Amino acid sequence: MTASEAATVRTANGEDGDGTNGAGPVVRVEGLRKSFGTNLVLDGVDVTVAAGEVLVIIGRSGSGKSTLLRCINLLEPIDEGRILLEGDEITRKGVDVSRVRQRIGMVFQQFNLFPHLTAIDNVTLAARKIRKLSREQAEQRARELLKTVGLEEKADQHPHQLSGGQQQRVAIARALMMEPHVMLFDEVTSALDPELVGEVLIVMRDLARIGMTMLVVTHEMQFAREVGDRLVFMDEGRIVEEGAPADVLDNPSDERTRRFLRRTLQLPESLEELTVNEEGVEE
Amino acid sequence: MILATYDLWAFVSENREELLDGLLNTLKVSAFAIAGAFVIGLALGAARAHRIPVVSQLTAIYVEVIRNTPILVQIFFIFYALPQLGIVFDQFTVAWLSVMIWGGAFNSENFRAGFQAVAYRYREAGYALGFAPFSTFVNVTLPIGGRIALPSSINTYISVLKNTSLMYVIGYAELTTTSLNISNLTLQTTESLTMLAIVYLTLVWSLSALIRLLESRLALPESR
Repeated sequence: MTASEAATVRTANGEDGDGTNGAGPVVRVEGLRKSFGTNLVLDGVDVTVAAGEVLVIIGRSGSGKSTLLRCINLLEPIDEGRILLEGDEITRKGVDVSRVRQRIGMVFQQFNLFPHLTAIDNVTLAARKIRKLSREQAEQRARELLKTVGLEEKADQHPHQLSGGQQQRVAIARALMMEPHVMLFDEVTSALDPELVGEVLIVMRDLARIGMTMLVVTHEMQFAREVGDRLVFMDEGRIVEEGAPADVLDNPSDERTRRFLRRTLQLPESLEELTVNEEGVEE
Repeated sequence: MILATYDLWAFVSENREELLDGLLNTLKVSAFAIAGAFVIGLALGAARAHRIPVVSQLTAIYVEVIRNTPILVQIFFIFYALPQLGIVFDQFTVAWLSVMIWGGAFNSENFRAGFQAVAYRYREAGYALGFAPFSTFVNVTLPIGGRIALPSSINTYISVLKNTSLMYVIGYAELTTTSLNISNLTLQTTESLTMLAIVYLTLVWSLSALIRLLESRLALPESR
């Protein structure tokens, strides 16, 4: 991404006029608890993300990482605790949920592009309908965004004509179109063929470089190490370890983190030597 | 003997004006009823798919009653039973109202199925972009689910058109009633029925061709 392209991705960090941003954190989660039925998914999570910071969240499946992102975007009601966005408590009663979500961009594992719309219409839809931008204004801006994700040529294609990696990049452009103050990435490369993962991670890296505030749930440890400013490891609904990515990845202090990283990172010499039990790979 | 006197053209040309009036009435009743069935189907289908309290339970009862009783009984009920309760409609109103109520019930099922087939993740993408629930319906669920519902709703509209011929039983002068009334006097029964078959075939084919044209332009891109 060149400097001029970077300028087309407008974030409100430091340039919004409402004065709520200031120097405080963009996202602040306090004592968040959430269960689905009897299943406690988040067990008292506290996390803070500063403006321009990239927070990477790792952990086993079922550890609550995706639920944490979904709670921040108010897609799941919370049971206890509170969430603040730029100082406003967004989990209080009577909050305009749709308006809050306009300040938060979210990218999903399954892309979720609207199948009946072309790439550019996917990008412009919300801006036209919610922000009431004219089609012309919206498309001009959408083309700039599609260019920054390397897809200006694909503007008129429908999602099914695009590869998974291309769809995910359109989905990122779609989220950026609303000029979010923070971006949530929920395992955005997990549904992709291995050779398509890189193109999405590069777009995310460029986004981080121009100062976007990001919460990234991922299994891509190289991305976590190189792009993340801070890394948290979640297990059974709690944050059990937190720190600079390289520190956590290279010198995990918690046994659960060590076990997770061992299973994730260190491939054995040969698969033949391994057995499984109900926990997964036997150690 | 019958074959010797068979003259379709004479039947049509001698009764041209009456038959044309009948055809116009058929088209008018069908147009009213199809438009109504579309609106009813869309609104109640959406209410059921989103489990809107009260409306969705009432819709379920409505659909059950209409689907599980003969349409003839429904027409008779509106024409003969409602007046006993002080609700009187003229024949034209009974004609379009009864097939509209019938078509609306079936169409609400078509749309319900269409809206329910829209994966939640698309709606969620709408919410995440900042669409309010109703805007998400208008901008996401409706365009995707409406397209899914289109083929089955076409079949309902075609049935609505064909069911207008049942207005024979209340003596409303649509095409079937007109044609059969003429042949009852002139004994040109075969001509009358042949003409009806040809006209209905043409009408239904035209209607489905029209809607299929629409469908091919609207269909979800991956199924084009």
